[in-house]
Amino acid sequence: MCELACSAKHEGKFQPSLARLKIIKYDDIGVDIPNVCGPCETAPCVDICPVYAMRRDPISKMTFLEEDKCILCKSCVGACVNGVILLDTERMRIIKCNHCDGDPECAKVCPTGAIIYGPASKVQAVDRHSKILSYLKEIQRTAEASSASGES
Amino acid sequence: MKYGGYTGKILRVLLDAGDFRTESLPTEWIREYIGGDGFAARLLYEEVPGQIDALSPENKLLIATGPITGTLWPMSGRTVFVSKAALTGIWGESHVGGFLGPELKYAGYDMLVVEGAAEKPVYILIEDNDLQIIDASDLWGMTTNDVTAAIKDRHKDPEIQVAAIGPAGEYKVRFAAVIVNNARAAGRTGMGAVLGSKNVKAIAIRGTGSVEVHDHEGFTELAKRAHQRVRENPQAQEMGRWGTWILTAVKQEIGELPTYNHRTGVFSGWEKLSAGYIRPRYTISDRACFGCSLGCKKMNYVREGLFAGTLEEGPEYEGLMAFGSSLGIDDYPTTLKANQVCNRYGMDIISAGATIGFAMEAFENGIIDEKDTGGLRLEWGDREMTIRLLEMMGRREGFGDILAEGSAKAAAKIGKGAEQYALHVKGMEISGQDGRTHRSIGLGHATGARGADHLRSLVVVDQLGYEDIAAERWGADKLPEIIDPYTEKHKANAVFESENSYCIRDTLIVCWYSVSWPPIFWMQDFADMLPLATGVKEFGSVDTLTEIAERQVNLKRIFNAREGISRKDDNLPSRFTDEPMPEGPGKGQVVDLEPMLDDYYRLRGWDLETGLPTNETIRRLSLEWTAKYP
Repeated sequence: MCELACSAKHEGKFQPSLARLKIIKYDDIGVDIPNVCGPCETAPCVDICPVYAMRRDPISKMTFLEEDKCILCKSCVGACVNGVILLDTERMRIIKCNHCDGDPECAKVCPTGAIIYGPASKVQAVDRHSKILSYLKEIQRTAEASSASGES
Repeated sequence: MKYGGYTGKILRVLLDAGDFRTESLPTEWIREYIGGDGFAARLLYEEVPGQIDALSPENKLLIATGPITGTLWPMSGRTVFVSKAALTGIWGESHVGGFLGPELKYAGYDMLVVEGAAEKPVYILIEDNDLQIIDASDLWGMTTNDVTAAIKDRHKDPEIQVAAIGPAGEYKVRFAAVIVNNARAAGRTGMGAVLGSKNVKAIAIRGTGSVEVHDHEGFTELAKRAHQRVRENPQAQEMGRWGTWILTAVKQEIGELPTYNHRTGVFSGWEKLSAGYIRPRYTISDRACFGCSLGCKKMNYVREGLFAGTLEEGPEYEGLMAFGSSLGIDDYPTTLKANQVCNRYGMDIISAGATIGFAMEAFENGIIDEKDTGGLRLEWGDREMTIRLLEMMGRREGFGDILAEGSAKAAAKIGKGAEQYALHVKGMEISGQDGRTHRSIGLGHATGARGADHLRSLVVVDQLGYEDIAAERWGADKLPEIIDPYTEKHKANAVFESENSYCIRDTLIVCWYSVSWPPIFWMQDFADMLPLATGVKEFGSVDTLTEIAERQVNLKRIFNAREGISRKDDNLPSRFTDEPMPEGPGKGQVVDLEPMLDDYYRLRGWDLETGLPTNETIRRLSLEWTAKYP
């Protein structure tokens, strides 16, 4: 839904492949993990940009792209640890979250409050970390239980 | 004019030639059928001749979407599989959630038509306009979760949406399902068997395109407000928390929880199958389908006991009923395990459970014994045996082979009066409702186009006492009878009008939940939204939408008439019409079907004797073209 709202706002159509965030779904274990831009502890996209088109707000730690400076080298696409910087091959431009100037559409439509935006934004990273941890525990327990019962 | 919402293309998979063909969507269909179910009915009636074997190459399997599939409208991720049904030999359709339909739209197609049959196992890969039919010899025999993982892995793309069949589809189990996203089932009527008969193991779709509506700003604003309405609805919130499990307690309270193969409507062990019991003990996460604000899916894990280590989504209320109360099993982990087996083998949980229930009751009454079953003692409440028998059905092993035919055909094979325990209409097993304690579903089960159906016309408003809504929809003069579950009076009106609305729901395509229950969106909401989405102004009138819905119902009826269906087939098992409910709040109730049928036929414009559309009805709905395809 956030992918839809994002493309609806920025592209004027419903096209999740051009959304500036990505939900990764693991159907087998029942986890959905939202990958949104920032706040990264270190920002590989800023470090790698050869023309300083990617900048980072020192306080919020959010990164922003200045499209005018961008030379489309795609370095940031490969460097992004969240995989949320894309190349639009049709219109030849880098697609990156601009955080909707501080009022992100994805957070507004999210029904569960999984995406939030605000100064205390480290909460997200912590949340996600604990979510993954609890799942890893479940997986381990599953594995133990099934090996005990002799199933593969 | 360019219509918003549609991609304007139909993709055909020609299995005989090993090729694809792209066609334009006939735009004249849009005003007459909107999309989804409607388009599929139009195409199937014309292209699949009457009286053919559903498992022959002449049959076709359609995957259809609607104009708002893949948009921000709430719960617009539904997709429909349509074919002549393997289970019943009549009209077959099965809706599924998940993410498949939007992906098909993003790939650039409104509909997918699979026709012919491949010589050896294949899977179909659609990546935008990159189309391939790929050898699947190495995937044949795999369970649905394994084949899904294998295809994603092979093409190095976790975003590929896979609709797969499991061993049950390969063995052409009559109620085999197609499974999407590991645990979403296009379950009913045997779509998996049709794919299996075509040697198609899976359909994999990846789309990167877009869906563009007519008035983007207006539509997006309306859709966001619609989401808000879902989120603020207290019943939708409850549903998000507890899923369809909340129904167990409701059904028990009104005496309509099918127990011991629908023999009674109250179950002493109901509490262990209720939401309040299950969620704190087993649920580990909440999940949702595409674009959903409600999120009724639950991931569950069993930590200890017979089925320790089972990690699976579901089951829905229907699964709790089919493998719980209906078999006398008061144990949630068994229903979760059964759901997992059904998902992995690719089987419809309702038909599978009901068929086992049939076998148990026949065993109890001495019609079959251990010699027939290969030593299995089919006793109510036996958890291990139930799972074993289910797996045997999925592989057509031993006694499972007969049961894999579905309860109606199995009963006919067994004979000796077994038929009375096979609870089906037109060959499809009865779902988790009971006309004795809810008259309108009695009529709905009897008249459903695909058989005993709880999704095409189940009236909820009358059963749960929504007095205001009933008055608004059907007129205050029909109160209080129309919301009295124990009287036949006015029930045809409720079924007629609900069925019409659900038809529009199934053309868009949106989910049951938020339309049928809780009652948030109805015809007027669709009339407000559709012109913004498509640009067709006529869709702004409820009368136009009603006519489109009537056309759809009649077209499916004509499809069934071609297969020999008439009033004699609009019946109910004698359990509901002759055996009074033995206990509970509905004690003593039976269904008096005939008067309701008369009322319903009159509303539909069908002949009272044959139960088929009159010439006048056919003319009024401009369905004369159907005469060309006898």
